[in-house]
Amino acid sequence: MTRVLAFMFCLLAAPLWAQVQGVELDEPVALPDFAFSNELGESFTQADLDGRWTLIMFGFLSCPDVCPFTMGNLEAAVSETGMRVRPDNVPQVVFISVDPARDAEHVSDYAKFFHPDFRSFTGARDQIDTLIEATDSFYRLMTPDQTGYYEVQHSASVSVIAPDGTLRAKLQPPFDPGLTAEFLAQLQIKYRKARS
Amino acid sequence: MRGTLFAALLAVCPGLAWAGDLTVSDPVVPLAPPGLMAHSAYMTLTNAGDVPRTLVGVAADGYAMAHIHRSDDSGGVATMSAVDAIAIAPGQSVTFAPGGLHVMLMHPAAPQAEGDTVTLTLQFANGEALPVTATVRRLKHGS
Repeated sequence: MTRVLAFMFCLLAAPLWAQVQGVELDEPVALPDFAFSNELGESFTQADLDGRWTLIMFGFLSCPDVCPFTMGNLEAAVSETGMRVRPDNVPQVVFISVDPARDAEHVSDYAKFFHPDFRSFTGARDQIDTLIEATDSFYRLMTPDQTGYYEVQHSASVSVIAPDGTLRAKLQPPFDPGLTAEFLAQLQIKYRKARS
Repeated sequence: MRGTLFAALLAVCPGLAWAGDLTVSDPVVPLAPPGLMAHSAYMTLTNAGDVPRTLVGVAADGYAMAHIHRSDDSGGVATMSAVDAIAIAPGQSVTFAPGGLHVMLMHPAAPQAEGDTVTLTLQFANGEALPVTATVRRLKHGS
């Protein structure tokens, strides 16, 4: 009976274990200086990474499917992370629009929609490209259609930055909130052990 | 008789649409952040009939355009592509869900609030049009 139960448990749990929610980098990657802002006059620079965990997602506001789904999952994942780590280790979440031409005027509204503490910014093309490259991310503005609408291809992963300002890991779809929270909590434990 | 049953079902389940042997369940438009040019609608389409059906298009009231799209994750990059036709075999269901198939709603005429409804018209290869009422609500995310 125990064996049957164990087997059934494995059947149920295996698909969850098989899901990779994040990939830890072999070596931390230092980030270059960058500066982003939003229409409220708020800024997001390298100094904002200091002393706290940060999750950065790249996307665009007219993204109909992947971006809102990811941000919604991040909200749930961060909320679950809050149950596993000290309050000052709950990551800040930053959304960077790679589409300033369309998004600059109201970019600040976007992240707040998903959580009042989430923030969103955009910036000059060279700043976007700098952070994209430094986090080994990707984006491409596609050719506009007849209405002038264009899509944007972008990295689906979310960058995890440690309180020392270095890139430590990438979160990957499907961003299961519980498993993502567990991944982040384990990453934080490793980070503290390595520094003690 | 079956028609009467479906009519009764429709009366008690406003979210359920039905045409011939096609049913649509859980049509939803997740509440979108303010000021967006595009967002999505999701649902599950089931073909309970004996013949294959093919969804070839969709229209949405209150939007300049609506398209059937599919999100893909190709090598870690989120991409989208238009889908011209979706065949639904007898007895099969097709699910539109975040991160995959979605009805892309473009250029909303007005901002939406939770509880609003969006009328989608699904167009099929046999010329049939199936109206679907999707409700605007906040999607719950969780494990």
